[in-house]
Amino acid sequence: MAVKPKVAIYWLGGCGGCDEAIVDLNEAILTVADAVEIVLWPVAMDFKYSSIEKMNDGEITLSIIHGNVRNSEHVEMANLLRNKSQLVLSFGACANYGGTPALANFRSKADIFNWVYKNSPTVVNPKGVFPQTLSEVNGHKLTLPEFFDHVYALNQVIDVDYYLPGCPPPPDLIANAVFAVLSGKLPPKGTTLSPHMAMCDACDRNKTKPFKLEIKEVKRIHEVEMDSETCFLAKGVICMGPATRTGCGNTCVSTNVPCRGCFGPVTHECDTGAKFLSAIASLLKADSDDQVEKVVDSVVDPAGYFYRFTQAASILHKFDENTKRRCP
Amino acid sequence: MISMKDYKPKILCFKCNFGWGYLDDKKEINAIVKNMVPVTCSGKVDSTHILSALKEGADGVLILGCCQGECHFQDGNYQTGKKILLIKKLLTSFGIEPERVRMIFSIDPEGDKIPIEIENMKNEISRLGPIQINKSAMA
Repeated sequence: MAVKPKVAIYWLGGCGGCDEAIVDLNEAILTVADAVEIVLWPVAMDFKYSSIEKMNDGEITLSIIHGNVRNSEHVEMANLLRNKSQLVLSFGACANYGGTPALANFRSKADIFNWVYKNSPTVVNPKGVFPQTLSEVNGHKLTLPEFFDHVYALNQVIDVDYYLPGCPPPPDLIANAVFAVLSGKLPPKGTTLSPHMAMCDACDRNKTKPFKLEIKEVKRIHEVEMDSETCFLAKGVICMGPATRTGCGNTCVSTNVPCRGCFGPVTHECDTGAKFLSAIASLLKADSDDQVEKVVDSVVDPAGYFYRFTQAASILHKFDENTKRRCP
Repeated sequence: MISMKDYKPKILCFKCNFGWGYLDDKKEINAIVKNMVPVTCSGKVDSTHILSALKEGADGVLILGCCQGECHFQDGNYQTGKKILLIKKLLTSFGIEPERVRMIFSIDPEGDKIPIEIENMKNEISRLGPIQINKSAMA
Protein backbone atom coordinates (compact mmCIF):
# COMPACT_ATOMS: atom_id res chain seq x y z
CA MET A 1 0.00 0.00 0.00
CA ALA A 2 1.38 3.33 -1.06
CA VAL A 3 2.18 5.81 1.66
CA LYS A 4 -0.45 8.51 1.79
CA PRO A 5 0.58 12.17 2.00
CA LYS A 6 0.19 13.51 5.51
CA VAL A 7 -2.02 16.52 6.14
CA ALA A 8 -2.37 18.59 9.31
CA ILE A 9 -5.22 21.01 9.96
CA TYR A 10 -4.71 23.37 12.86
CA TRP A 11 -6.38 26.42 14.36
CA LEU A 12 -4.59 29.29 15.99
CA GLY A 13 -6.61 32.36 17.07
CA GLY A 14 -9.77 31.59 15.14
CA CYS A 15 -13.43 30.87 15.73
CA GLY A 16 -13.51 27.40 14.17
CA GLY A 17 -15.59 28.57 11.21
CA CYS A 18 -12.75 27.57 8.90
CA ASP A 19 -12.91 23.99 10.24
CA GLU A 20 -16.63 24.13 9.59
CA ALA A 21 -15.91 25.20 6.01
CA ILE A 22 -13.65 22.16 5.53
CA VAL A 23 -16.46 19.91 6.75
CA ASP A 24 -18.72 21.71 4.26
CA LEU A 25 -16.79 19.96 1.49
CA ASN A 26 -19.49 17.31 2.05
CA GLU A 27 -18.91 14.17 -0.03
CA ALA A 28 -15.64 15.54 -1.40
CA ILE A 29 -14.14 15.27 2.07
CA LEU A 30 -14.45 11.47 1.79
CA THR A 31 -12.24 11.57 -1.30
CA VAL A 32 -9.77 13.75 0.57
CA ALA A 33 -9.84 11.44 3.59
CA ASP A 34 -9.14 8.45 1.32
CA ALA A 35 -6.29 10.18 -0.43
CA VAL A 36 -4.44 11.55 2.61
CA GLU A 37 -3.55 10.65 6.16
CA ILE A 38 -4.78 13.35 8.54
CA VAL A 39 -2.21 13.60 11.32
CA LEU A 40 -3.63 16.58 13.22
CA TRP A 41 -7.09 18.16 13.35
CA PRO A 42 -7.92 19.13 16.93
CA VAL A 43 -11.48 20.21 16.22
CA ALA A 44 -12.47 16.88 14.69
CA MET A 45 -10.13 14.18 15.94
CA ASP A 46 -7.98 13.37 18.96
CA PHE A 47 -4.26 13.75 18.30
CA LYS A 48 -1.36 14.61 20.56
CA TYR A 49 1.05 17.43 19.84
CA SER A 50 3.86 15.14 20.99
CA SER A 51 3.25 12.84 18.01
CA ILE A 52 3.84 15.82 15.68
CA GLU A 53 7.00 16.75 17.58
CA LYS A 54 8.37 13.24 17.00
CA MET A 55 7.98 13.53 13.22
CA ASN A 56 10.89 14.28 10.89
CA ASP A 57 11.17 17.75 9.40
CA GLY A 58 9.13 17.99 6.20
CA GLU A 59 7.27 14.73 6.92
CA ILE A 60 3.87 16.42 6.67
CA THR A 61 3.00 17.22 3.06
CA LEU A 62 0.55 20.03 3.80
CA SER A 63 -0.38 21.99 6.89
CA ILE A 64 -3.59 23.96 6.66
CA ILE A 65 -3.37 26.64 9.32
CA HIS A 66 -6.19 29.02 10.09
CA GLY A 67 -6.62 31.68 12.74
CA ASN A 68 -4.32 34.55 13.64
CA VAL A 69 -1.33 34.61 15.97
CA ARG A 70 -2.28 36.18 19.30
CA ASN A 71 -0.28 34.34 21.95
CA SER A 72 2.92 32.39 22.53
CA GLU A 73 1.21 29.02 22.07
CA HIS A 74 0.15 30.08 18.57
CA VAL A 75 3.75 30.96 17.72
CA GLU A 76 4.99 27.63 19.09
CA MET A 77 2.47 25.59 17.08
CA ALA A 78 2.94 27.66 13.92
CA ASN A 79 6.71 27.09 14.09
CA LEU A 80 6.30 23.39 14.87
CA LEU A 81 4.01 22.84 11.88
CA ARG A 82 6.23 24.95 9.64
CA ASN A 83 9.25 22.80 10.48
CA LYS A 84 7.41 19.52 9.97
CA SER A 85 5.65 20.53 6.75
CA GLN A 86 6.65 20.79 3.11
CA LEU A 87 3.83 23.24 2.40
CA VAL A 88 1.89 25.61 4.62
CA LEU A 89 -1.47 26.94 3.46
CA SER A 90 -2.56 30.11 5.26
CA PHE A 91 -6.28 29.48 5.43
CA GLY A 92 -8.96 32.12 5.93
CA ALA A 93 -9.05 35.83 6.66
CA CYS A 94 -7.56 35.56 10.18
CA ALA A 95 -4.44 33.69 9.07
CA ASN A 96 -4.02 35.83 5.95
CA TYR A 97 -4.71 39.32 7.31
CA GLY A 98 -5.50 39.04 11.03
CA GLY A 99 -9.27 38.84 10.51
CA THR A 100 -11.80 40.55 12.75
CA PRO A 101 -9.80 39.69 15.91
CA ALA A 102 -7.07 42.02 14.58
CA LEU A 103 -9.39 44.96 15.24
CA ALA A 104 -8.10 44.47 18.78
CA ASN A 105 -4.88 46.08 17.51
CA PHE A 106 -6.67 49.40 17.94
CA ARG A 107 -6.45 48.77 21.68
CA SER A 108 -3.57 47.91 23.97
CA LYS A 109 -3.23 44.67 25.89
CA ALA A 110 -3.82 46.61 29.13
CA ASP A 111 -7.07 48.09 27.77
CA ILE A 112 -8.28 44.65 26.73
CA PHE A 113 -7.39 42.98 30.04
CA ASN A 114 -8.96 45.80 32.04
CA TRP A 115 -12.20 45.49 30.11
CA VAL A 116 -12.42 41.69 29.96
CA TYR A 117 -11.31 40.92 33.53
CA LYS A 118 -12.32 44.04 35.45
CA ASN A 119 -14.52 46.78 33.98
CA SER A 120 -16.98 44.88 31.81
CA PRO A 121 -20.48 45.18 33.39
CA THR A 122 -20.91 41.42 33.72
CA VAL A 123 -17.57 40.84 35.45
CA VAL A 124 -17.18 40.68 39.24
CA ASN A 125 -13.50 40.75 40.13
CA PRO A 126 -13.01 42.72 43.37
CA LYS A 127 -9.47 41.40 43.91
CA GLY A 128 -8.43 42.43 40.41
CA VAL A 129 -7.19 38.96 39.46
CA PHE A 130 -5.63 38.92 36.00
CA PRO A 131 -4.32 35.90 34.06
CA GLN A 132 -0.61 35.27 34.65
CA THR A 133 1.80 33.31 32.50
CA LEU A 134 3.02 31.58 35.67
CA SER A 135 1.20 31.09 38.97
CA GLU A 136 1.54 28.72 41.88
CA VAL A 137 -1.43 26.93 43.44
CA ASN A 138 -0.96 24.44 46.30
CA GLY A 139 2.66 23.99 45.37
CA HIS A 140 1.88 23.36 41.71
CA LYS A 141 3.16 25.62 38.99
CA LEU A 142 0.48 26.55 36.46
CA THR A 143 1.35 28.15 33.17
CA LEU A 144 -0.61 30.02 30.50
CA PRO A 145 0.58 31.22 27.09
CA GLU A 146 1.72 34.84 26.91
CA PHE A 147 -0.96 37.13 25.48
CA PHE A 148 0.71 39.51 23.02
CA ASP A 149 0.05 43.21 22.63
CA HIS A 150 -0.71 42.56 18.95
CA VAL A 151 -2.64 40.23 16.70
CA TYR A 152 -0.46 39.01 13.84
CA ALA A 153 -1.17 37.45 10.48
CA LEU A 154 0.41 34.01 10.02
CA ASN A 155 3.00 35.21 7.48
CA GLN A 156 4.29 37.73 10.01
CA VAL A 157 5.45 34.81 12.15
CA ILE A 158 6.30 31.94 9.80
CA ASP A 159 7.02 31.45 6.11
CA VAL A 160 3.80 30.69 4.21
CA ASP A 161 3.58 28.93 0.83
CA TYR A 162 0.01 29.63 -0.28
CA TYR A 163 -2.93 31.73 0.78
CA LEU A 164 -6.63 30.97 0.70
CA PRO A 165 -8.73 33.96 1.77
CA GLY A 166 -12.29 34.21 3.04
CA CYS A 167 -14.26 34.19 6.25
CA PRO A 168 -14.47 31.29 5.81
CA PRO A 169 -13.06 30.21 2.44
CA PRO A 170 -15.78 28.70 0.24
CA PRO A 171 -15.79 24.90 -0.31
CA ASP A 172 -15.04 25.10 -4.06
CA LEU A 173 -11.79 27.02 -3.46
CA ILE A 174 -10.85 24.68 -0.60
CA ALA A 175 -11.36 21.63 -2.83
CA ASN A 176 -9.35 23.24 -5.65
CA ALA A 177 -6.50 24.05 -3.25
CA VAL A 178 -6.35 20.58 -1.68
CA PHE A 179 -6.57 18.74 -4.99
CA ALA A 180 -3.91 21.04 -6.50
CA VAL A 181 -1.54 19.96 -3.71
CA LEU A 182 -2.45 16.28 -4.10
CA SER A 183 -1.96 16.37 -7.87
CA GLY A 184 1.23 18.44 -7.60
CA LYS A 185 -0.17 21.11 -9.96
CA LEU A 186 0.82 24.08 -7.88
CA PRO A 187 1.16 27.72 -8.86
CA PRO A 188 4.27 29.71 -7.83
CA LYS A 189 4.94 30.03 -4.10
CA GLY A 190 3.12 32.94 -2.47
CA THR A 191 0.07 32.71 -4.72
CA THR A 192 -3.37 33.44 -3.36
CA LEU A 193 -5.53 30.55 -4.51
CA SER A 194 -8.58 32.50 -5.61
CA PRO A 195 -9.57 34.63 -8.63
CA HIS A 196 -7.57 37.82 -9.05
CA MET A 197 -10.30 40.31 -9.93
CA ALA A 198 -12.13 42.69 -7.61
CA MET A 199 -15.54 41.81 -6.19
CA CYS A 200 -17.31 44.40 -8.35
CA ASP A 201 -16.16 42.54 -11.48
CA ALA A 202 -18.09 39.47 -10.41
CA CYS A 203 -21.05 41.17 -8.75
CA ASP A 204 -24.46 40.86 -10.41
CA ARG A 205 -25.43 44.25 -8.96
CA ASN A 206 -22.68 45.94 -10.97
CA LYS A 207 -24.95 46.44 -13.98
CA THR A 208 -27.27 48.67 -11.93
CA LYS A 209 -24.43 50.98 -10.98
CA PRO A 210 -25.14 54.46 -12.35
CA PHE A 211 -22.68 55.98 -14.85
CA LYS A 212 -21.67 58.59 -12.30
CA LEU A 213 -21.74 57.19 -8.80
CA GLU A 214 -22.13 59.83 -6.09
CA ILE A 215 -22.72 59.42 -2.37
CA LYS A 216 -24.11 62.48 -0.62
CA GLU A 217 -24.60 60.76 2.71
CA VAL A 218 -23.31 57.39 3.85
CA LYS A 219 -26.16 55.17 5.04
CA ARG A 220 -26.21 52.04 7.11
CA ILE A 221 -27.92 49.00 5.71
CA HIS A 222 -30.99 49.32 7.98
CA GLU A 223 -31.51 52.93 6.88
CA VAL A 224 -32.27 52.09 3.26
CA GLU A 225 -34.66 49.75 1.54
CA MET A 226 -32.44 47.43 -0.45
CA ASP A 227 -33.64 45.26 -3.29
CA SER A 228 -31.80 42.28 -4.70
CA GLU A 229 -30.42 44.06 -7.78
CA THR A 230 -29.22 47.57 -6.91
CA CYS A 231 -25.56 48.36 -6.24
CA PHE A 232 -25.06 49.09 -2.53
CA LEU A 233 -22.82 52.07 -3.21
CA ALA A 234 -25.53 53.58 -5.43
CA LYS A 235 -27.77 53.58 -2.35
CA GLY A 236 -25.05 55.15 -0.19
CA VAL A 237 -24.29 51.92 1.70
CA ILE A 238 -20.57 51.20 2.10
CA CYS A 239 -19.64 48.06 0.19
CA MET A 240 -15.99 46.98 0.11
CA GLY A 241 -16.41 45.37 -3.35
CA PRO A 242 -14.21 47.85 -5.26
CA ALA A 243 -11.11 46.97 -3.20
CA THR A 244 -11.79 43.32 -2.32
CA ARG A 245 -10.75 40.18 -4.15
CA THR A 246 -13.51 38.04 -5.59
CA GLY A 247 -13.95 34.27 -5.30
CA CYS A 248 -16.37 34.14 -2.39
CA GLY A 249 -19.33 33.24 -4.58
CA ASN A 250 -21.02 36.56 -3.72
CA THR A 251 -22.41 35.04 -0.53
CA CYS A 252 -23.00 38.35 1.22
CA VAL A 253 -24.27 40.49 -1.66
CA SER A 254 -26.67 37.76 -2.77
CA THR A 255 -28.24 37.84 0.69
CA ASN A 256 -28.63 41.63 0.60
CA VAL A 257 -25.61 42.38 2.74
CA PRO A 258 -22.77 44.56 1.37
CA CYS A 259 -19.28 43.12 0.96
CA ARG A 260 -17.26 43.52 4.18
CA GLY A 261 -13.90 42.70 2.60
CA CYS A 262 -13.03 39.27 4.04
CA PHE A 263 -11.18 38.21 0.85
CA GLY A 264 -8.61 40.95 1.37
CA PRO A 265 -6.82 42.95 -1.30
CA VAL A 266 -6.61 42.08 -5.00
CA THR A 267 -3.31 40.82 -6.44
CA HIS A 268 -0.36 43.24 -6.16
CA GLU A 269 -2.08 45.32 -3.47
CA CYS A 270 -1.28 44.94 0.20
CA ASP A 271 -3.63 47.30 1.98
CA THR A 272 -7.36 46.87 1.33
CA GLY A 273 -8.33 49.67 3.70
CA ALA A 274 -6.13 52.31 2.08
CA LYS A 275 -7.24 51.37 -1.42
CA PHE A 276 -10.88 51.43 -0.40
CA LEU A 277 -10.36 54.77 1.31
CA SER A 278 -9.20 56.23 -2.00
CA ALA A 279 -12.17 54.67 -3.79
CA ILE A 280 -14.85 55.85 -1.37
CA ALA A 281 -13.30 59.33 -1.09
CA SER A 282 -13.78 59.86 -4.81
CA LEU A 283 -17.44 58.79 -4.57
CA LEU A 284 -18.35 61.17 -1.76
CA LYS A 285 -20.15 64.20 -3.15
CA ALA A 286 -20.80 67.47 -1.35
CA ASP A 287 -23.23 70.09 -2.66
CA SER A 288 -20.80 72.86 -1.72
CA ASP A 289 -17.23 73.16 -0.46
CA ASP A 290 -18.30 73.85 3.11
CA GLN A 291 -20.30 70.61 3.09
CA VAL A 292 -17.30 68.37 2.28
CA GLU A 293 -16.36 67.73 5.89
CA LYS A 294 -19.94 66.87 6.77
CA VAL A 295 -20.13 64.25 4.00
CA VAL A 296 -16.76 62.79 4.99
CA ASP A 297 -17.87 62.68 8.63
CA SER A 298 -20.82 60.54 7.62
CA VAL A 299 -18.26 57.73 7.21
CA VAL A 300 -18.31 56.55 10.80
CA ASP A 301 -15.18 54.74 12.00
CA PRO A 302 -13.32 54.38 8.67
CA ALA A 303 -10.46 52.44 10.28
CA GLY A 304 -12.77 49.83 11.79
CA TYR A 305 -14.86 49.50 8.64
CA PHE A 306 -12.14 49.53 5.99
CA TYR A 307 -9.84 47.22 7.96
CA ARG A 308 -12.55 44.93 9.34
CA PHE A 309 -10.60 41.82 8.25
CA THR A 310 -7.20 43.19 7.32
CA GLN A 311 -5.88 45.37 10.15
CA ALA A 312 -2.87 43.15 10.88
CA ALA A 313 -1.78 43.31 7.23
CA SER A 314 -2.24 47.08 6.95
CA ILE A 315 0.62 49.45 6.18
CA LEU A 316 0.19 51.27 9.48
CA HIS A 317 0.15 48.09 11.58
CA LYS A 318 3.44 47.03 10.05
CA PHE A 319 4.73 50.48 10.95
CA ASP A 320 4.35 49.80 14.64
CA GLU A 321 7.76 49.12 16.19
CA ASN A 322 6.36 46.36 18.35
CA THR A 323 5.24 44.46 15.26
CA LYS A 324 8.81 44.09 14.07
CA ARG A 325 9.75 42.39 17.32
CA ARG A 326 8.07 39.17 16.30
CA CYS A 327 7.97 39.60 12.56
CA PRO A 328 10.94 38.24 10.64
CA MET B 1 16.29 57.20 21.07
CA ILE B 2 16.51 60.68 19.58
CA SER B 3 16.09 63.49 22.07
CA MET B 4 13.49 66.10 21.18
CA LYS B 5 16.27 68.70 20.99
CA ASP B 6 18.08 66.88 18.18
CA TYR B 7 14.90 65.85 16.45
CA LYS B 8 14.63 67.08 12.88
CA PRO B 9 11.38 65.99 11.28
CA LYS B 10 11.42 64.62 7.75
CA ILE B 11 8.62 65.93 5.55
CA LEU B 12 7.66 64.30 2.27
CA CYS B 13 6.10 66.83 -0.08
CA PHE B 14 3.94 66.01 -3.10
CA LYS B 15 3.50 69.08 -5.30
CA CYS B 16 1.21 69.50 -8.27
CA ASN B 17 3.22 70.54 -11.32
CA PHE B 18 0.36 72.61 -12.69
CA GLY B 19 0.11 74.93 -9.68
CA TRP B 20 3.41 74.89 -7.83
CA GLY B 21 6.91 75.87 -8.93
CA TYR B 22 6.54 75.33 -12.66
CA LEU B 23 8.45 78.53 -13.55
CA ASP B 24 11.37 78.09 -11.18
CA ASP B 25 14.79 76.63 -11.73
CA LYS B 26 14.29 72.98 -10.79
CA LYS B 27 17.90 72.49 -9.72
CA GLU B 28 17.65 75.42 -7.37
CA ILE B 29 14.50 74.27 -5.63
CA ASN B 30 15.70 70.67 -5.44
CA ALA B 31 18.82 71.92 -3.66
CA ILE B 32 16.71 73.64 -1.01
CA VAL B 33 13.89 71.14 -0.65
CA LYS B 34 14.57 67.47 0.05
CA ASN B 35 12.07 64.67 -0.38
CA MET B 36 9.81 66.39 -2.88
CA VAL B 37 7.78 64.37 -5.36
CA PRO B 38 6.41 66.36 -8.32
CA VAL B 39 3.12 64.92 -9.57
CA THR B 40 1.09 65.81 -12.63
CA CYS B 41 -1.98 66.37 -10.46
CA SER B 42 -2.49 66.18 -6.70
CA GLY B 43 -5.34 63.78 -7.53
CA LYS B 44 -2.63 61.26 -8.41
CA VAL B 45 -1.56 61.03 -4.75
CA ASP B 46 -3.04 57.81 -3.40
CA SER B 47 -3.70 57.00 0.23
CA THR B 48 -1.20 54.12 0.03
CA HIS B 49 1.51 56.64 -0.97
CA ILE B 50 0.80 58.73 2.11
CA LEU B 51 0.59 55.81 4.55
CA SER B 52 3.68 54.16 3.07
CA ALA B 53 5.60 57.43 3.42
CA LEU B 54 4.73 57.56 7.13
CA LYS B 55 5.68 53.92 7.55
CA GLU B 56 8.99 54.34 5.72
CA GLY B 57 10.21 57.16 7.91
CA ALA B 58 8.48 60.42 7.01
CA ASP B 59 7.27 62.35 10.06
CA GLY B 60 4.76 64.28 8.00
CA VAL B 61 3.33 64.43 4.49
CA LEU B 62 2.50 67.71 2.75
CA ILE B 63 0.42 67.81 -0.41
CA LEU B 64 0.43 70.99 -2.48
CA GLY B 65 -2.58 71.13 -4.77
CA CYS B 66 -4.13 73.81 -6.95
CA CYS B 67 -6.80 76.23 -5.74
CA GLN B 68 -10.26 74.76 -5.33
CA GLY B 69 -12.07 74.75 -8.67
CA GLU B 70 -8.89 75.32 -10.69
CA CYS B 71 -7.65 71.77 -11.24
CA HIS B 72 -6.19 71.25 -14.71
CA PHE B 73 -7.89 67.86 -14.76
CA GLN B 74 -11.27 69.10 -13.51
CA ASP B 75 -11.29 68.03 -9.84
CA GLY B 76 -8.19 66.02 -8.88
CA ASN B 77 -7.36 68.36 -6.00
CA TYR B 78 -10.95 68.14 -4.70
CA GLN B 79 -10.79 64.32 -4.78
CA THR B 80 -7.52 64.21 -2.86
CA GLY B 81 -8.86 66.78 -0.39
CA LYS B 82 -11.56 64.28 0.58
CA LYS B 83 -8.95 61.51 0.83
CA ILE B 84 -6.93 63.65 3.24
CA LEU B 85 -9.95 64.25 5.49
CA LEU B 86 -10.59 60.50 5.66
CA ILE B 87 -6.90 59.71 6.22
CA LYS B 88 -6.84 62.10 9.17
CA LYS B 89 -9.70 60.12 10.73
CA LEU B 90 -7.86 56.88 9.94
CA LEU B 91 -4.62 58.08 11.52
CA THR B 92 -6.45 59.07 14.70
CA SER B 93 -7.81 55.53 14.99
CA PHE B 94 -4.28 54.17 14.64
CA GLY B 95 -3.06 56.52 17.39
CA ILE B 96 -1.15 58.84 15.03
CA GLU B 97 -1.66 62.62 15.12
CA PRO B 98 -3.79 63.79 12.15
CA GLU B 99 -1.63 66.94 11.85
CA ARG B 100 1.05 64.82 10.23
CA VAL B 101 -0.82 64.98 6.93
CA ARG B 102 -1.68 68.35 5.45
CA MET B 103 -2.99 69.58 2.13
CA ILE B 104 -2.74 73.14 0.87
CA PHE B 105 -4.90 74.43 -1.98
CA SER B 106 -3.11 77.37 -3.57
CA ILE B 107 -1.01 78.48 -6.53
CA ASP B 108 2.66 79.45 -6.61
CA PRO B 109 4.24 79.35 -10.10
CA GLU B 110 7.69 80.47 -8.88
CA GLY B 111 7.70 77.96 -6.04
CA ASP B 112 8.91 80.50 -3.47
CA LYS B 113 6.32 79.36 -0.95
CA ILE B 114 7.27 75.68 -1.15
CA PRO B 115 10.25 75.83 1.27
CA ILE B 116 8.25 78.14 3.56
CA GLU B 117 5.28 75.77 3.74
CA ILE B 118 7.61 72.82 4.39
CA GLU B 119 9.37 74.78 7.14
CA ASN B 120 6.01 75.68 8.72
CA MET B 121 5.05 72.04 8.76
CA LYS B 122 8.44 71.01 10.16
CA ASN B 123 7.95 73.43 13.04
CA GLU B 124 4.57 71.98 13.83
CA ILE B 125 5.78 68.37 13.60
CA SER B 126 8.79 69.24 15.81
CA ARG B 127 6.36 69.80 18.63
CA LEU B 128 4.78 66.36 18.07
CA GLY B 129 8.07 64.46 17.91
CA PRO B 130 8.64 61.16 16.08
CA ILE B 131 5.63 58.99 15.33
CA GLN B 132 4.75 56.73 18.21
CA ILE B 133 1.69 54.56 18.09
CA ASN B 134 -0.32 55.76 21.05
CA LYS B 135 -3.01 53.20 21.69
CA SER B 136 -4.53 55.05 24.62
CA ALA B 137 -5.27 57.98 22.27
CA MET B 138 -7.02 55.79 19.75
CA ALA B 139 -10.61 56.56 18.93
